[in-house]
Amino acid sequence: MDVLGNYKSVISARSTDKDITKKSQDGGIITTLFAYALEEGIIDGAIVAGPGDEPWKPEPVVATTKAELLAAAGTRYTISPNLNLIKEATRSYGLDRVGIVGTPCQMQAVRKAQLYPIGMRDVDDKIALALGIFCMENLSYQALEAIVEDHCNQKMESVKKMDIGKGKFTVYTERGAVSQMPLKLLSKYVQPGCNVCLDYVANLADISSGSVGSPDGWSTVFVRSMKGNAVWDGAIAADLFETKPMDQVKPGLDLVTKLATEKITKNQKNVDARKTFGLKADGTAKGLRNPYETP
Amino acid sequence: MSKVVEISPTTRHEGHSKLVMQVNDDGIVERGDWLSITPVRGIEKLAIGKTMEQVPKIASRVCGICPIAHTLAGVEAMEASIGCEIPEDAKLLRYILQCANRTHSHALHNILSLPDMHIPGTDVKINPFTKEEPVRSAALRIQRLREIAQTIGEIVGGEAIHPSNPRVGGCYKNITPRAKAKIYDLAKEGRLLAQEHMEFMISVFRDFQTRGTTEVGGVEVEIPDDLGYHRQGYMATAPMYGSSSLDANPTWFPERFTEVRPWDWYMGEVEISEADPNYPIGGTTPVGNKAWPQMEACTGVPLYDGQPIEVGPRARLVQFKNYDEKGAMGLQIARQMEFPDTMYGILDAVDALNTSGPVVADKIPQGDGSLGWAANEAPRGTDVHLARVKDGRVQYYSLLVPTTWNFPTCSRALTGAPWRLAEVIMRAYDPCVSCATHMLVIDEDKRLVAQKLIQ
Repeated sequence: MDVLGNYKSVISARSTDKDITKKSQDGGIITTLFAYALEEGIIDGAIVAGPGDEPWKPEPVVATTKAELLAAAGTRYTISPNLNLIKEATRSYGLDRVGIVGTPCQMQAVRKAQLYPIGMRDVDDKIALALGIFCMENLSYQALEAIVEDHCNQKMESVKKMDIGKGKFTVYTERGAVSQMPLKLLSKYVQPGCNVCLDYVANLADISSGSVGSPDGWSTVFVRSMKGNAVWDGAIAADLFETKPMDQVKPGLDLVTKLATEKITKNQKNVDARKTFGLKADGTAKGLRNPYETP
Repeated sequence: MSKVVEISPTTRHEGHSKLVMQVNDDGIVERGDWLSITPVRGIEKLAIGKTMEQVPKIASRVCGICPIAHTLAGVEAMEASIGCEIPEDAKLLRYILQCANRTHSHALHNILSLPDMHIPGTDVKINPFTKEEPVRSAALRIQRLREIAQTIGEIVGGEAIHPSNPRVGGCYKNITPRAKAKIYDLAKEGRLLAQEHMEFMISVFRDFQTRGTTEVGGVEVEIPDDLGYHRQGYMATAPMYGSSSLDANPTWFPERFTEVRPWDWYMGEVEISEADPNYPIGGTTPVGNKAWPQMEACTGVPLYDGQPIEVGPRARLVQFKNYDEKGAMGLQIARQMEFPDTMYGILDAVDALNTSGPVVADKIPQGDGSLGWAANEAPRGTDVHLARVKDGRVQYYSLLVPTTWNFPTCSRALTGAPWRLAEVIMRAYDPCVSCATHMLVIDEDKRLVAQKLIQ
């Protein structure tokens, strides 16, 4: 199995828009692409993880301006149910061309809704641009609070940025402090549903982007579909990105491949283990459900 | 010597019904019974004890052509019972939804009635599936009108079939300025199409009125001038939307309503003594079969001022615009005349809509068991829901649905028509038999006698 999915090209890139890179997690790829797509009429709104009612708790919103996109920039390491708005965006919001950003599982949901629209009337043909972000695993809000407030000993309100990389969960505060937690402590906080996920780099997105493989401040970008390719070419022609060929950056695609392989291998084991999770009275195995198999 | 002929099932309308007719030697109906044989689903019984939020969503599932009528009448009956006034912008959203649904429903009904009609000036019957002109462009226009209407309904109602946006106390969501602009554009396109389409449809029905005969299953049938005439009255509560017991001057009067059992109103047991195996398609019920309308009818017989009455497009035009054309074609033409008003209604309402206004009432009382009712002018006529809500739960719920009102009236209108045209008369009422079939039957002493039907 190809752990990186199908793609036309992979590039290391960073936005040339300083307003965006000031706020973005890495290279500002998603924010820049949506801003470009809005301006060009490729989409007329994008479902993004906007600010919620508690610090670092995202709330899905339909963004129709660059200001709303900027408010959603940056990674929040907790659940944002972006698909909640996928139908509503085509209803009271009146959108005809919907953009949506999400983790690999959310891209899977988008594609499934397009091919098997169950209670999803008029959604399938209105998905105009689906942007995926790399995702190793996610956390509940309570888990994030425990990590930031207990392990890292920082107030959620003071945090400017959170980052997972180089084996550490790192918290940066507005006033300059940096706290870290080793990633090996993370596993008990991970959303259990993440343990059966077999997708690291958002294989089903039009374009997917993430930090791994590129230097700080840059993103690794997979351009996957025809639609994604057209949008990417347009954005490059409009000088919205600085790019470097992937084979000329460190640590490069090898690290992406390595992490993807690790995630999939580990989680495939979890999937397989579900089959023999329990025992029947006669001593034979009784399993848990496997969504990847037909029952 | 009169004979009995039965068409079962009837076609090109919603639901499951049949026609049992006593005819004379010339095949003219002396007495006709048109009755629902759709299984009773018992919405009104199972509503009892459920929350006032849930019941209108269940009632919506009575029918997928006019779910808007049942959702809105249901929600507004709850609001009438608890005494909840909803914000102006929520009313406007509901009004737009109402207009959009009427457009779609009337246009859908055109597809059902066109095959009875002829291309004006010719003997060619209209087949909506043909690729030939002028039928092709009419069919495409119908589909575009329905697409426009369902899209508008989807924006304001959350969903075109079983709208999700209406709730007790108003609506869940207002729409965005972008959505408002989209509705404008769609309604402007729809207004022109609706005008064009109305003129086309009226010319088709006028042509049928002036024809001497029409062919049904290989038989040339004479069309009487008074096809579908009846002497019953009309009932309508509004030209477009409806009325409720919260209104300062309600336009429907519960004290004028009574209901009798099919037992009291329909024919007794009869034996089929006439049949036509060539009646399209599949023939009528073979000779020797029995029919028992009294026992088989799955609706009550609602009366207004002690009489069956007609509801629907003509009733609205008679009540509010002095329309005076009778008969089946008169009813069909009245329906087409409602097309432009739906689109103008949407344009006016969307103009008045404030997209940043609140759409949920500040306070939603939980009810003290008072009786409230709401009438919605569904595409097919007055749809009245009555409810008692106490502590947020439904204690009593009853639906008086348009086609329930029309069943006995239409049965009377069959008299004097050749039996082969009985379905043409019935279709003029745009029947929605699922809607009409409900459980609660009340006899003269106001006791529940639904048990009698189940025995």
